Amino acid sequence: MEKQPENKPNEVPPEPRENRPVRLKGVRDSLWITLDPALPMDRLQTELSRIFQRLKHLAVNARVILDTGEENGHEALIARLGVFLKETFDVGMVSSPPKKPSLPAGDFRKREMTGSWRYRRSEVLMMSGRVRSGQKVEAKGHLVLMGDVNPGGQVIAGGDVLVMGSLRGSATAGVPDNENAIILSLDFRPTQIQIGGYVAAGLPPSDENGAEYAHVENGRVVVENYLKVNPYGKMPWPEVR
Amino acid sequence: MVGKTIVITSGKGGVGKSTATANIGAALAMEGKRVAVVDMDIGLRNLDVILGLENRIVFTVVDAVKGKCRINQAAIRDRRIENLYLIPASQSDNKDVLKPAEMENFCNRMRKEFDFILMDCPAGIERGFENAVAGADEAVVVCTPEVSSIRDADRIIGLLYSRSITPKLVVNRIVPEMVERGDMLSHEDVVEVLSIDLLGLVPMDDQVVISTNTGNPLVAQKGSLAGEAFWRIAMRLNGQKDLPIQAPKVKTGFWGKIGLKLIGRS
Repeated sequence: MEKQPENKPNEVPPEPRENRPVRLKGVRDSLWITLDPALPMDRLQTELSRIFQRLKHLAVNARVILDTGEENGHEALIARLGVFLKETFDVGMVSSPPKKPSLPAGDFRKREMTGSWRYRRSEVLMMSGRVRSGQKVEAKGHLVLMGDVNPGGQVIAGGDVLVMGSLRGSATAGVPDNENAIILSLDFRPTQIQIGGYVAAGLPPSDENGAEYAHVENGRVVVENYLKVNPYGKMPWPEVR
Repeated sequence: MVGKTIVITSGKGGVGKSTATANIGAALAMEGKRVAVVDMDIGLRNLDVILGLENRIVFTVVDAVKGKCRINQAAIRDRRIENLYLIPASQSDNKDVLKPAEMENFCNRMRKEFDFILMDCPAGIERGFENAVAGADEAVVVCTPEVSSIRDADRIIGLLYSRSITPKLVVNRIVPEMVERGDMLSHEDVVEVLSIDLLGLVPMDDQVVISTNTGNPLVAQKGSLAGEAFWRIAMRLNGQKDLPIQAPKVKTGFWGKIGLKLIGRS
């Protein structure tokens, strides 16, 4: 099996968000400031001023949470910055992050077991028929084809490609860069497959009989027997894909 | 008289479209139908050679379509087989001289004069194919048990479906010995991929070469396996839908050979 990682455009903005020493996000009714406690005091103050000047009146009486990224310590730093913020920008309350995780374990169960997928609009293109040589079926989201793909036919999807029949043409899943997408077929004999920019051509004929699927694992396209591996069988509860 | 226009096509070249056209046409004519075989391979004419009529060409299909002559002037009557007519291709023009709209008009005129109009389509999917298909009611796709031929036939089938023509399949040049050894795709494999109605299976036959060179259609001779296969295909096109499809079999052993001798085929 060959794979050729596709050349992806390097998306490096001039200053990555993650690298900024002080970042702001809105969490519920408060402003959550993530900062690097290792920086000198005056640097932190200039960075905070830069952010709060942009907020203008929104900062007045706002609840501010200063997150140093660590559980304990830095109380003195938080207190000093708190005083600075209250004096300069008139904010309401300044505190360290709440100790408890914001999403308790109990909520997880509840969230998934309510069947939230019932209200989800489908992103699946479901088709039946035979994709013949020279024909092409494209889907924005997932693609389910009840039928076959002949040699020379093409199926392309932004998500997964499921062929309920034999796949002998070429299949492309996860367009443009979703490496979690899979290509599944009941009779897996493609001429070429692509998953999120990884290309596999000249797949060796397998002895497996039955449903097989291709996915990307450690930068390689791997084809396995779907029922033996059953990649989604071990998930704790059903999830929207 | 309202005839039927049948286009015989394949996508790939050299799979036996012209041989099939000539033989199916001859068989239908021998059954008493008025048949016209039209060579649409303009610029590369050869159906006239296969039918042995090359020295009688005066007008061509281009003249007939463009209205430079009447249909009965362009149609060459075969002297051996009654009711068989050939409209030959022009050798000096190219495929762009005809337009699909003109072809539709031509087919409508042809239907009034013949029971069956067989169009020998050129290889490819460009203008020549479009012209041949423009006026067709039915289509026969000829394919050999080779991967390349199947790929092209598949493409053609898609194009025919997009013109609301439901094609029928003829698998040509089957070598039963090679199929048995596993060196050649069986007709089941071909039908599985193409998944259209099967019209007939034609075995490989050396006599085809002889007959195309001498210009004597196989169906008019006795004792040719391919000729009989084409005959049965013609009968199915002529309405005998229940005629069973015979898969070419390996000639085996002493008794098999004796049997063939007894019924006059060697």
